[in-house]
Amino acid sequence: MPLSAMSSSPPPVPPGRREHFDRYLRLVVYKTYAELKAESERTYVGFAWWIAEPVISMAVYYVVFETILDRGTEDYAVFLFVGLVPWRWLQTTITHGASAILGERSLMQQVFLPKILLTWTAILADSFKFVVVFALLLLALPAFGYPPSAAWAWLPVILAAQFLLITGVTTLVAALTPFLPDLRIVLENVVRLWFFLSGVFYSVDVVGAELEPYLQLNPMTVILEAYRDVLLHARAPDSVPLFAVGAASAVACVLGMAVTRRFDYEYPKLRF
Amino acid sequence: MGREAMLELREVGVCYRRRRWLRQGSDEFWALRDVTMTLQRGETLGLIGRNGAGKSTLLRILAGIIRPDRGEVRAFGHQATLLSLQVGFVPHLSGRENVFLSGLLLGLTWRRIQAEMDSIVAFSELEGFIDEPIQTYSSGMRARLGFSIAFHADPDILLVDETLGVGDAAFVKKSTAVMRERMRSDKTVALVSHSPGSIRSLCDRAIWIEEGTVRSEGEPAKVLDEYEAWVEAR
Repeated sequence: MPLSAMSSSPPPVPPGRREHFDRYLRLVVYKTYAELKAESERTYVGFAWWIAEPVISMAVYYVVFETILDRGTEDYAVFLFVGLVPWRWLQTTITHGASAILGERSLMQQVFLPKILLTWTAILADSFKFVVVFALLLLALPAFGYPPSAAWAWLPVILAAQFLLITGVTTLVAALTPFLPDLRIVLENVVRLWFFLSGVFYSVDVVGAELEPYLQLNPMTVILEAYRDVLLHARAPDSVPLFAVGAASAVACVLGMAVTRRFDYEYPKLRF
Repeated sequence: MGREAMLELREVGVCYRRRRWLRQGSDEFWALRDVTMTLQRGETLGLIGRNGAGKSTLLRILAGIIRPDRGEVRAFGHQATLLSLQVGFVPHLSGRENVFLSGLLLGLTWRRIQAEMDSIVAFSELEGFIDEPIQTYSSGMRARLGFSIAFHADPDILLVDETLGVGDAAFVKKSTAVMRERMRSDKTVALVSHSPGSIRSLCDRAIWIEEGTVRSEGEPAKVLDEYEAWVEAR
């Protein structure tokens, strides 16, 4: 039997790495399912909320900007919705992810498991909800005068870039909040600022030539513009910034996973 | 005895830190200071000591949940699992779904859970309710299911903290009986208990932990006598 010291190098993985991998994979999938089911059972209409919530928030912005301020652009409701649905994917996942490890303290003290699985569960659950709503959005668009076009072939690229962005930010946030729970309150406001700077309810070209280049440094601006290019204007998005977002986010993912792994045995010791 | 070591601890120390930002100092608390011990194949080792002596921390070290801040732990590729009741239970899921979730967490593979499902359900005496959400269960029913899963997990090294939780009187009797049977068999077990009686009757060896260090070690009767004399003298 190999003599492996637990206090240095790999964790004690009993026979069969493949079996463990299989178990962890099923655990993430099953825990995601459990989370989604629990969430939909907590409310009366259940997962109808997944669709109702973005529609309601779209209605709120529509009333404020189109009806009251009269600042809406052409076909403002569709413009808003195409921005809000991907934005909410990012926002809910990050917020949810901030408690992914922090909130599982009692579980962590009873069994060992790689903590990244908890983060992935949060990401998967919110991503699943997004996919459902996004699919409905795609089905509804033709009815509003935006039929599918060749540009839709870019959607997998945009979705992948945003998924990497969300995963990168969420793994980092989830890895750090257990050390500093106050971060969640700061985060809430940072995400709100991010929302206002991302052109969810306005088109970035309204800010003027002087400021626009700065807004383009915001990865969410890049992503949302890409969605609108493809879905509303039937044209290919600017690919260079999109790939830059994807690449930078991939680095963040690797970093977030490394940090989580580094503290795998520290999280259960934290007293928050 | 010259038996095979399943786990070895050498001068192990574990420190809990509470970092306080923008506040003076950081309080450190060494739950374990210096513990050297071996868990041997097939033995039932009793761990006694007062509240806060470091017993639960020691079990977490043995389970591989945390790692020491100093000293060394040697595992030899065995799976050590804390007997965790109702771990990961989700109220909205059915009993059967919770068996899968909890079983995966406790280290069982999907195939093992499928194979053991009937036995887990039968042992918990919940045949008629297993597909109902567990939020409809009484706390006793939940405890029965929790124990049944944990008991079927059957790791190489079983780590047990305190008594066996709740449940109706008949089930406590049944669960205690099977646990005792398992401890008396060739299972490698570490048992934390406040009850000198169960350590005396179940354990081959005992370790007394006080303030994060090993105060005494050896025959349960001898260690317990020392411990009880010390408690009374205080």
